[in-house]
This record gives sequence, C-alpha cells and structure tokens, in this order.
Amino acid sequence: MRGIGYLFVGLFLPLFPLSMLLNAALERIAHPLLRSALLLLWPQVGLLALSFFAAEPPSWLVIWALVTSALYAFRLLAMREMGRWTGFLATSAWALLWLPAAGGVAVSNLWPYAAAFSVPIAFLTLLASRLERRFGAAYTGLYGGLAQSTPRFAGVLVISVLAATATPLFPTFFAMLGTLIVSQPVPAVWLTGVWLIWSWAAARLLQGLIVGTADPAPQQDLEMATTWGYTIGLVGLVFAGLILTGGHL
Amino acid sequence: MTDQLVLLLPSLPLLSALLTHLLSRIVARRVVHISVAGGTLSFLIAAILLGAVLSGQEASRLALGGSWGSLLFDPLSVLMGLLIAGISLLVRIYSVRYMAEEPGYARFFVLLDLMTAALLVMVAAGDLITLLIAWHLIGVLLYFLLGHDTRSRSAYRYGFWTFITYRFGDLPLLLAAAVLFHTFHTWSLPGIFDALAANPDARTFFDLPVSEVVAALIAMSAFARSAQFLLHTWLPYTMDGPTPVSALMHAGIVNAGGFLINRFAPVYAYTEHTLHWVFVVGLFTAVIGSVLMLSQHDIKKSLGYSTMGQMGFMIMECGVGAFSLAIFHLIAHGLFKGTLFLSAGGIIGEARHDDGVPKDDLYTFIVERRPARNRQPWLLMAAITLAIPVAVLLLSHLAVAPNLFQKQGAIVLLFFGWVTGAQLLFATYNMRSQNPWRLVALIVFSFTIVVIGYTLISHAFDVFLYPDPDFGDKLYKAAGIDFSWFVLLVVFASAVIVLGWLRAYYTERSQRGRWRSPGHWWRNFYALVWREFHILDIYTGLTRNLLAASARINVWLRWG
Repeated sequence: MRGIGYLFVGLFLPLFPLSMLLNAALERIAHPLLRSALLLLWPQVGLLALSFFAAEPPSWLVIWALVTSALYAFRLLAMREMGRWTGFLATSAWALLWLPAAGGVAVSNLWPYAAAFSVPIAFLTLLASRLERRFGAAYTGLYGGLAQSTPRFAGVLVISVLAATATPLFPTFFAMLGTLIVSQPVPAVWLTGVWLIWSWAAARLLQGLIVGTADPAPQQDLEMATTWGYTIGLVGLVFAGLILTGGHL
Repeated sequence: MTDQLVLLLPSLPLLSALLTHLLSRIVARRVVHISVAGGTLSFLIAAILLGAVLSGQEASRLALGGSWGSLLFDPLSVLMGLLIAGISLLVRIYSVRYMAEEPGYARFFVLLDLMTAALLVMVAAGDLITLLIAWHLIGVLLYFLLGHDTRSRSAYRYGFWTFITYRFGDLPLLLAAAVLFHTFHTWSLPGIFDALAANPDARTFFDLPVSEVVAALIAMSAFARSAQFLLHTWLPYTMDGPTPVSALMHAGIVNAGGFLINRFAPVYAYTEHTLHWVFVVGLFTAVIGSVLMLSQHDIKKSLGYSTMGQMGFMIMECGVGAFSLAIFHLIAHGLFKGTLFLSAGGIIGEARHDDGVPKDDLYTFIVERRPARNRQPWLLMAAITLAIPVAVLLLSHLAVAPNLFQKQGAIVLLFFGWVTGAQLLFATYNMRSQNPWRLVALIVFSFTIVVIGYTLISHAFDVFLYPDPDFGDKLYKAAGIDFSWFVLLVVFASAVIVLGWLRAYYTERSQRGRWRSPGHWWRNFYALVWREFHILDIYTGLTRNLLAASARINVWLRWG
C-alpha cells in the first residue's frame, strides 16, 4: 500500500517513467499562463501528498529519483525546443526533492525548495511563448542573435536561465546546497554531476538564442514595463533566496 | 572603522556596476568614468587595509548576519584584495579607450565591476557559503566577459570551455564544503580551522580523514581554476575575448587556485599525502605547459601555454610546502602577464615601423644561431656553470633561513633555482662575444641580484602571511617525504639534467655546420606536441558522442 502511495507521489515529484505524464501535460497545454500555473502547483501537490507519509522515503526511491534527475538533465543537452526544455529541467529538479525528504528535512520545509525551481521555470515558459509568437517556434539554434536584436529580452532570458539552473544568489542555488549537505556521499557526487549538466545545457540553450548576427528586420523588444516586471520578479527571487532557502542553511 | 572598510571594498564595485547600468542611458559613454572612479576608491581602500595589517592590526571576521555571510580581514585577504583592486583598476582605465568602439560599452564595464566585486568577495570570504557563491559567480561572469561580442560564435564557444571547466572545478569545492559542514557543523572558516586544529584526526564518511579528503577536493578545485594538466584546454583558446579580459584572466582570475590552497593552508598542515600529488600535478603541468608553449606557432596560444606553465610552477610551490612563495609567484606573474597583454597592441604597432631588436651578441646567438668560434676551457666553464648558482642560492637563502636544510621543499626550490642558473650560464658558453669573461660576470651579477631579490621578497611574504614559524614548518613537514627517497630523487634528477646538458653539448659540437634531418621518432613526437597531445580532439569527440547519445535517448523516449 505504501509503495502505491509513493508511486502516486512519484507522479508529482517525478520519477521516470511516471514523469512522462508531466511532460505530456505540459506539451498539451498551449496557454503560457496555464503552463506556468501547472509548473508552480505540480511539485507542491507532490509535497502535500508526501507529507501524509510518517516515515522518510526509503533509499531505493532516492536512487530512482537520482536516476530520473540525471536522465532528464542529460536529455536537456540535445533538447532544442524551449517549451520541452523547461519541462525537462523541471522534471530533473523536482526529482531531487526526494533527497532532502530522505535526508531528514521535514516535508513541510521543502515548499521553498520546490518553488525556487518553479518560479524561474515559469518565467522561462512565458519568455518561450513570446518567442513562439514572434518566430513561430521557441527553438534554440534556429535564429539566434537576440542579444543584438532584442537586448532587453535577451537580458531577462539570460538571468532567468541562470536562476533556473541554480546560480548564486538565486534560491535554487541554496536549495541545491541544502540538498547537498543532507545527502550521503554517493548521492552528493551524483547531485553535483546533475548540477554540472544543467550548466552545460543552459550554456547550449543561451548560445543558440542570444549569440550570432541579428536578423536585419526590426524586432520588437520587451516593453519597458514588462522588463521592469521581470526585473522586480528576479530581484525578488534573489531576496527570497537569501531569506528562505539561504537563510535556513 | 576597519570593519566598514572591509565591507566597503567589495561593495564599491557593486555600487558602480549598478550606477553604470542605470545611468548609461542618461550620460551615455561617459558613464564608464563611474566605474573608473569606483575602481580608484576600491584600490585606495585596499591600500589602507594593507597598511592597517602592516601596522599590526589584529585579524578579524566581519559577520553580516546569520550562519553565513562574513568577510575576513587578514594578511592574505588584504594582500590579494590590493592585487585585484590594482589590476582591475588598470584594466578599467585601459578599457576606457580600448573598448570605446565596441558595442555594449557600458555593459562591459558593468560586467568588469561585477567580476571585481566577486573576486574581492572570494579573497575575503569568511565562510564556506560566501566562498562558494563568489567562486561560482566568477566562472559565470567570466563566460559573459569572454563572450562580450555577442555576434562572435567562436568567442562564446571558447568561453563555454572556460565556463564548463570552471563549473567542473566548482564541484569538488562544493563537496569539500559539505564534508566540512557535516563534520564540524559550522560554515565559518576560522571556526572550521580551529575545530580541525583541536581534532586533527577527525574522520568523515567511510572513516576517511577529514583533512586528507578536504585537501584533495580543494586541490582539484584549484587545478581546474589554475589550468592544470587535463583541465587546461580552455586557457590557450580563450583569446577571442577582448584583450582587457585576457589581461584580467591571465593576471588575476587564473591565479585563484594558488589563493584557494593558501586559504585552506590550516587544512593542508594536517595532511600527509595530498601535497605530494599536488607537487606532481604542478610539476607535470609546468613541464607540459613549457613544452607546448615552445611548440606553438600561434603567439596567443603560446602565451596561454606560458601561463599554464607558470600556474604549474605555482601549484608545485604549494606542493613543496612553500605556500607564501606561491602567493608571491602569483602576484609577480599577474603583474608581468597583465603588462604583457595590455602592452601587446602598442608593441605590435611599434614593431610595424621598427622591430627594435638590437643586432648584438644575444641576437647573433639566438636569432642567427651563430655560436662563438673560440671556446673557453670547458672544465673551467663547467665548474663555473655548476658551482656559482649553488653558491649564490645557498648563501642568499641561508641568510634568511638558517634551518634551510630541514625543509625538503626549500631544497627542491633551490634545486630548480640551480638548474635555471646553470642553464643560463651553459647557454652563455656558446655565445659570440668580444669579451666573454665580461659577459659571464654580468650574467652572474644579474643572477645574484635576481636571487637576492627573490629570496628577500619571498622571506618577507612568509613572515607577513604565516608569521608563526611553527605553522610554516608544519606545512613543509606535510609536504616532506622519507629522507632517503628524497636524496635518491634529487640525485637522480641532477644526474638526468647534467647528462642532458652533456649530450646537448657534444651533439652540438659534433654536428657543427652539418644539418641532419630529424629522426622518425623525433618528428612524431614534435607532431604530437604540436597537436597538443590530441587532448582537445579527445574532449571534442567525447562531447559529440555525449550529445549524440542524448539525442538518441530523446528519440527513443519520443521526446516525453
């Protein structure tokens, strides 16, 4: 019975192949706000479900979660479509929530960890939808040169990708550090490996979008108000990181 | 007052980055003067802090709140702070004109300011989390500085190599932090060092000694940052970035490995084995870097490999226990290499009008390869070649450290000094000169001045950074090996070097005037070195295979 319960949680704190449900759902939801809402809520449902278990998750679940996380991180490297890219990153990141849960961190304290990843990934979803509207597809390596043609958009995109891939001072960095210190040695090494692959994938995504010669046709950049909105959101994330995920270390 | 200055030092570049960004639309290109002004103030504050340490002010730790977020005020942090503030100020002043025609002018200065702030926080970090944040951010900021020209795909491609190597180097530091926190339950560096001193035999996972595990992880992190062999490929290929960034990178950022090992010196003092392989990696890198430097046709790659060789030597100095000497080395190398990069453009411009090479004895010997016709008695010259460097080195070192022979590391460094001095005199022997004895006397005099200067300055660094002589002895002891093995190795290395000289001498003498085609083995070896041991090809192949595997898995799983 407990095993089936864990499988249910594994839908929301994704474990492969249950994780395919999340990615299928993300693919079918076209509206960016709905996708963002799903990204924000999905892991919180998993944490809520996990809180009904009195005991810590067993070690075999931790191994399963690590394999899932590494698999989706590795798959990110060849993923060029930004919508799916965000889904894979979310899968890889949320699977890691099993580690602090198994390492003795109370499940009720894990919601900031999940939100730390959800918020920047939701930002990326909104940015991807803008690219889709403009170019027909949010596809890295297809057009490039966004830093030249739409510098404000490129700036927000770069910072959001950095925030999503656990760069200091964003809350994701502290969430990863918090997970690392409660992990056993082998999972800890595995975790750092996943982190490294995220950085690699992030660099590949950015290089395919922002670098290169710009399209000579005039492009519409992010409006100033929208840019300020994203800026305030990202600065807020930094402060949230320092207070919530970072403050508890 | 000191606390405020310690806090102000990294805050100023942060503030100037913010102001430069916000005001760039209002004051246009003149906004970069904010950055220069901020850099000047930072340099002055760093100088005042160094003055405070020199006047005897006690080391302290400024906590900004919570369990982490603290800055150290100690000899190492203020010395490195002054170096960083100085080099970054020069780079900013240079960039005002050099980058004036480039797009993203203000963005470049914002990134430079952020990089300076990250470097200053790194050297002053008083806890592991602050150190990790700064260490990680330096790699990210360097990636964007190297790729400042967003039109250039090659700049980003090579910048990516730097980024991924740096990220790879972040991982051991993260693991070391986790081990230290798990063992001592604090992030504070002084707290950890005190706890380790109280319990040097502390154990961690798998019953391994904490000091050895942490020291090994820290060393690996330092290797990635300081381009040690197998983690070096990014360094010679990052010349597509702007010249001021190359100067900052070669003069400052790449030296971070030496700093990190020095910061964790209290951990290395309790190790038994780690410093031995630090020495081996450093030595290997120094040799490989020098060989690759000599074999490259591209002057920029050659400069990159020159830095790699120097970094190898710096790490090797740590490996023999001469930690403070590594700091002196990184400062000297930073100033030298920074000058080289920043003056390269001007020199190239001048050389188009006049090559500036005097047609003197050195020119005929090195460029025209015309050795002297008349030789001096070889026995006398051999005696001078071998004996004078030893005498100069021994006398100058014994003057500052009478217990010299109790430190194996010091003997190893003397040995290197002897080889360098003897090599210099050996080369002189073949030089064409009207008055060979005058030439020899001048070279011996120059050598003596260099050795005395180096000895006195490195001794001053030792006294400044590690005033407790017992602690310095502990580091040398940690680097030492069994005495009989040590003697055997020194004798073996001496014999190999002297035999090499003799062979070079007799080969040159017997083949004078006759050219002989190099042998098959030699040509193959040269090709291997010229292709940089195919390391880059291996990494590129590995990367392609990984990307192909990732794509294949995505296809199998139908992208879900």
